[in-house]
Amino acid sequence: MRNHAHRRLLGLTFALFLGSGAVGCDFLDPTNVENPLTTADDLAQATEPTRALLPGLRAQFARAINGTIVLTEVVSDNYAIHGTGLDSEYDNPRAIVPNIVNATGTATGLYWNLQELRALATFVLDDIVPGDATATPDQLAEVRYYRGMAYLMLAENFTAAPLETDGTPVAALDLVSLALADFEASLAAGGAGDFTLRTRAAQARTHRAAGNGSQAAQAAQQALATEPNFVFLQEYDATSISNAAYVFTTDRALREMQPLPRLDFLDPKYTSLSAAVPVAKAEEMHLILAEVALAAGSLDEARGHVANAIEIALTRPRPSFNDTDQRQNANLTLRPRNAEILIRADPESPFRAGLVLTRPGSVPVPTISGTSLRADSVRALTGEEATWHAFHLARQEIHFLEGRRMSDLGIRLPMMLREIEANPNISMGGPGTQVVVPAYIPQDNQMDNFSPASPYDDNDQLTTTEVTMQVDMNRVLARERVNAFN
Amino acid sequence: MLPLRRSFTGALAGLAMLALGGELSAQTGTIRGTVIDAQSGRALVGTQVSVPGTQRGTVAGAEGRYVLENLPAGELLVRYQIIGYETTERTVTIQAGETVTLDLQLRTRALAMDELVVTGVGQATSRRQLSTSVAVLGEQAISEAPVQSIDQLLQGRVAGSTVSAVSGQPGTGSQISFRGVSSVFGSQTPVIYIDGVRVDNSQATAPGTGGEQSSALADLLTTDIERIEITRGGPASTLYGSDAATGVIQIFTKRGRPGAPRITARIEQGVDVPELKYILDAGIIYESRVEAGELPADFLAQSFFRTGWVQSYALGVSGGSEAVTYNVSGRIQDAEGIQPRNESGLISTRGSLQSTLTDNSRLQFSGSYARSTYGRLYNGTAIADPLTALEVGDALFLTGASTVQEATEIFLMADIQELVERIGFSGGYIWDGSDLFGFRATLGVDRRANEQTQFQPIGFTPGNEEGSLLRFQRNFTSATVDAAASVNWPTTENVRSTFTVGAQGFRDNEYRIFGSGVGFALPGSKDFDDAATVTAGETRSQVFNGGIYLDENLALWDRLFLNAGVRFDAGTSFGDEVDFATYPKFGVAYDLGREQRVRDVGGDWITELRLRSAYGETGKFPPPFLRDRTFSATSFRDESAPRFSNPGNPDLRPEVTRTFEAGFEAAFLRDRVGIDFTWYNATTDDALFFVPEQPVTGQGTQIRNVGEISNRGVELDVSALLVNRPTLSWQVGATFQTVNNEVVDMGIAAPFNVEPQKRVVEGETVGAWYVTTPYDSNGDGNLDGSRLQFIRDCEDGVEEGEPVCRAYGPTPTRSGSLSTRVGLGQRLTLSAMGDWAAGHKVMDFGSVWSTFNGIFRREEREEGYEYPIRYSTAGVAGNPYAQSAARSEFIYDGDWFKLREITARYGIPDELAGRLRAANGTAFFSVRNAWIWSRNPLIDPELSGLNPSGGGLALGGESSITISPPRSFRVGLEFTF
Repeated sequence: MRNHAHRRLLGLTFALFLGSGAVGCDFLDPTNVENPLTTADDLAQATEPTRALLPGLRAQFARAINGTIVLTEVVSDNYAIHGTGLDSEYDNPRAIVPNIVNATGTATGLYWNLQELRALATFVLDDIVPGDATATPDQLAEVRYYRGMAYLMLAENFTAAPLETDGTPVAALDLVSLALADFEASLAAGGAGDFTLRTRAAQARTHRAAGNGSQAAQAAQQALATEPNFVFLQEYDATSISNAAYVFTTDRALREMQPLPRLDFLDPKYTSLSAAVPVAKAEEMHLILAEVALAAGSLDEARGHVANAIEIALTRPRPSFNDTDQRQNANLTLRPRNAEILIRADPESPFRAGLVLTRPGSVPVPTISGTSLRADSVRALTGEEATWHAFHLARQEIHFLEGRRMSDLGIRLPMMLREIEANPNISMGGPGTQVVVPAYIPQDNQMDNFSPASPYDDNDQLTTTEVTMQVDMNRVLARERVNAFN
Repeated sequence: MLPLRRSFTGALAGLAMLALGGELSAQTGTIRGTVIDAQSGRALVGTQVSVPGTQRGTVAGAEGRYVLENLPAGELLVRYQIIGYETTERTVTIQAGETVTLDLQLRTRALAMDELVVTGVGQATSRRQLSTSVAVLGEQAISEAPVQSIDQLLQGRVAGSTVSAVSGQPGTGSQISFRGVSSVFGSQTPVIYIDGVRVDNSQATAPGTGGEQSSALADLLTTDIERIEITRGGPASTLYGSDAATGVIQIFTKRGRPGAPRITARIEQGVDVPELKYILDAGIIYESRVEAGELPADFLAQSFFRTGWVQSYALGVSGGSEAVTYNVSGRIQDAEGIQPRNESGLISTRGSLQSTLTDNSRLQFSGSYARSTYGRLYNGTAIADPLTALEVGDALFLTGASTVQEATEIFLMADIQELVERIGFSGGYIWDGSDLFGFRATLGVDRRANEQTQFQPIGFTPGNEEGSLLRFQRNFTSATVDAAASVNWPTTENVRSTFTVGAQGFRDNEYRIFGSGVGFALPGSKDFDDAATVTAGETRSQVFNGGIYLDENLALWDRLFLNAGVRFDAGTSFGDEVDFATYPKFGVAYDLGREQRVRDVGGDWITELRLRSAYGETGKFPPPFLRDRTFSATSFRDESAPRFSNPGNPDLRPEVTRTFEAGFEAAFLRDRVGIDFTWYNATTDDALFFVPEQPVTGQGTQIRNVGEISNRGVELDVSALLVNRPTLSWQVGATFQTVNNEVVDMGIAAPFNVEPQKRVVEGETVGAWYVTTPYDSNGDGNLDGSRLQFIRDCEDGVEEGEPVCRAYGPTPTRSGSLSTRVGLGQRLTLSAMGDWAAGHKVMDFGSVWSTFNGIFRREEREEGYEYPIRYSTAGVAGNPYAQSAARSEFIYDGDWFKLREITARYGIPDELAGRLRAANGTAFFSVRNAWIWSRNPLIDPELSGLNPSGGGLALGGESSITISPPRSFRVGLEFTF
């Protein structure tokens, strides 16, 4: 009896094991596993792959703008670091080494995100579009625009960058040429409307980067002729890719970025996680025209263009915002935060009122452009240096927190450490691998310094209403006659 | 989930009652007697007395007394086993209704060479015959250890292991590493089997809360475990195939023995006391506020930390008949925690049944359910972490509060709760067949589900002031099937062979899903979809892995043992394409101690001497689907926005670790000193590296078979019985191991970081610290530059005239333990164990953070230390170096020693126990984590609170301000009825 039961049990056990494999117990079926991601084979099944990938390029452009703004604004004189969230070496341009430009994230990974934008656009153009009969000219124009912007922003912020695996670094001027070619192709492919204007503005900016005065002016004028007050914004999304600068300049959970006191009235610029960032605007076209005129020695004309830019900037919205920021230094002492404080841009400059706003409190927010300059005053300026100074100050204020100032100061970042290490044709010390800081940039973090370091006593009471910046970088740029078209 | 638990335990109890109903009483007899030490006459309490082949057994109680009842009449073999003594067998004949007295004296044995092990061999085999080293923890060691989870149990008890706690917060597990870091991807945690079923061993089962991660190891309890076998990778793990390169831990639960129901009740009470050695407290951090009288200098000690009450109650029943045995137990536990919001609770049950079907076949079933709940605080890098914020001086800033007390209250508004439910079962069938054939099969499942809720109420200023809620759930299921058949032929006196063929397969399914809401209009809402902004996400992973193995064990003249085996493995790590791998092993052991010449020479002085050597391969599959080129997408402005995901690598294959090991076991001095020594040399070929693509590709990292990693070292386990007298016995033990880890070759891969500041580069240890270091760029004696470099110690030694300057990594290169056990009189046992690790460096992130507030913690604690000042290249002194340019200043010597356990156990006199109607009783007292020594005064170097999320390679050695495991005091009573 027992043996009989045993044999039956043995049989059942074998049946169970055989059955578990053979009778479709899916849990034990080795082949029944599913990759939850889209594979190359899956992509090949997409009916409109170019259309499907375009939102990816839009998102990647948003990431690239994010990374460019946060990192370069800190390196420039616009912002100083006063908290734990950002690497304090960014504040000392000469101390920047490839390692600290090694981020892949959206906050500070500008090199990474620009290269990813360029690579994704190239993938769409080279691998997808040729096989996609549904791709439209408008879609091609948009893809070309994003790749052009990737080339342009790489050229503005780096001296050289490779463009393919194991590629030798391509110099910034050649990157600019590639950008121009993409913008030309975009205009040739695209339909009418906003996108054309956007590309035209990008052309003007690119010709500026290339030092082509006449072509920059021509593109700028074409853009302005189409729409005199245009602005294009990169929108963000609070729940996925949000405005990275907001976290560091408005939310300030870790106290990170504090504006230069003479630019206090421009901060904050982005007051929500979804706040949009200006990518192209009419003011810039006027400033390009001004810069071309300056290079040609036409001071009157230059002042006129700067004044035009100021007039447009002053028409931009200025909603009010209740700013709770305490304006603290890293050691918890206070930075200038009262409207009665007067600021002079350096010891040679006059004290000016209105640059510092009272905080915490309700402040107007120049979400697109803001400036302390007035058109009439600029038109009335005399002298070469004053004109150059007004131009640089206008450009700094109008493009505040748009990721442009570092490039305007002449500073160029090294490429990512990973690129240097992984590419056999790039070696440390070679093109594009080291930070470039013009000799006129002061040592250490002196661009951010002012005295007294805190105009308040231990009880947070004002001890003086006069604050002097250590160095006025616009005066430095003016004296150096720094100009894209020289 | 309560009904489920009730029905589960109800079913177990019902089955147990059925078993009891089958109790037979006719034609039986009884054996009783005492077991004592042959030399000293001391009672051997805890000796396992069993009758092989009958499931009958008991454990010797007070004064070594035992009783075996209801034994079948006739000639019986009785076996006596206890750690440290020779397993002894006696044959006795009993008549029906008769009681036979059998007193026994056992001889001490330094090495348990006749112990049977099953891990890594096809069939149960005595250790004497193994060509590899397998560590075994027995029932006594497990039940007496003052620990809760398996990872804690392993600390200091297994030669060749490094087991480091991650943090003192509930729900975290330890980092376990055997024989160094053999791979630079994936977890180093060994695979774990319970009753033959693979279980979840993930170290990252919930979202990070700033670094410290919830671990599945935390709820692998030590309750009701009979034996644990451990292989540390290499040939002993070959039969486990592609997942065993990091070692195998095999756990066997208690199954009960025939006899009347034996009820065990255990009550334990105690306190957890915070370890404040590494806390600077308010007197240093908020000095001015303390001086102004606003804040006590010991604010944290007084008002933040606390002594937490712990209570634990356990009840178990075991017994059964000749046909069916059972063991059922339950446990409830509650702990207050040593800091706010660290309360934890545990309810667990475990049950097993073993049914004898025929004389040579039986069914086994075991199942368990555990429900753990615990609260957590943010930690590590989270700005919502109260302890770090208070210790680095950021508490006021981050909360906007005006006093430290108010800031603390705000921090404690955040509520993190986790619930873990774990159900496992294992069903097995064993057929001993005949002397010629055997067969066994196991089928089982481990299912672990956990939910974490992170709630930040409205007004929680370190976070979003409008409130937020994150709810996360993970469901993990692992199913195992395993079957093996063996043939024992020939079985002559001089030649014995066992050949086994087996098949094994498992499938892991993991689903993670989260929902998050930010911005609540009204307080009280605990539904994330009530919030202004709602997001959700998921990740899924499925993998099947299976293999077939062949294993041959050949014993010649009972002294030369040969072993050969091979495993053919297949896995679905590549999606639909199943990949195959083959892992061979060979081994030889020679029992010199059985050679007459050795016996003649050795006499009583050398009682065991066995040499062994083995070669074996194990593997590691890449994570699922990393061969494919993939795209992932994110939601962006109402569109699905794709980007590159995995670059794709069609050449991907498993990495293979080839291990050669050799060693010996020896017992000296009349078996009072035992040594187990192993030397190993393991090389991982085709090592899988997450190779970062060139950024120009726009793609991230791709796993590639490009490297070679070497681990070499020794493992030593020594024990000695120093005193063995009637009133005093004294045993001491030590383990020692070294690991020399090196990335030998990186192939095409450029050096890369596995974690921030931990570098993988040829010629150095995996994850060598690579940090910014101030240096003198122009030779003027001033520090004016900063560069990335390794931390080296060139004074270690000289090799061919060149200084040996290996870079320090975060993992210990030497570790070990010391233990001692003293028996006083017949009833009292005192024991202590300490473990240590050395030869590595650790990173102090909390001190990095505090520099932002001008607080240089190292200057406060390390006498004479000054944080470096940065000079300009013109030689002008400036401010202190930015922390980001001087990370080298936050890396310290990692050497530590912890007095891990002190226990005292007292056997309660029978008359006293009898008053409670108990058969016997034990009172115990223990202290865990009693004392710490560390070379650095700033952080507990054992901890590794800053772990990478996602369960990847975790090298450890890096923590922010966090709590050490508490100093735990326990008193308890255990009675058997």
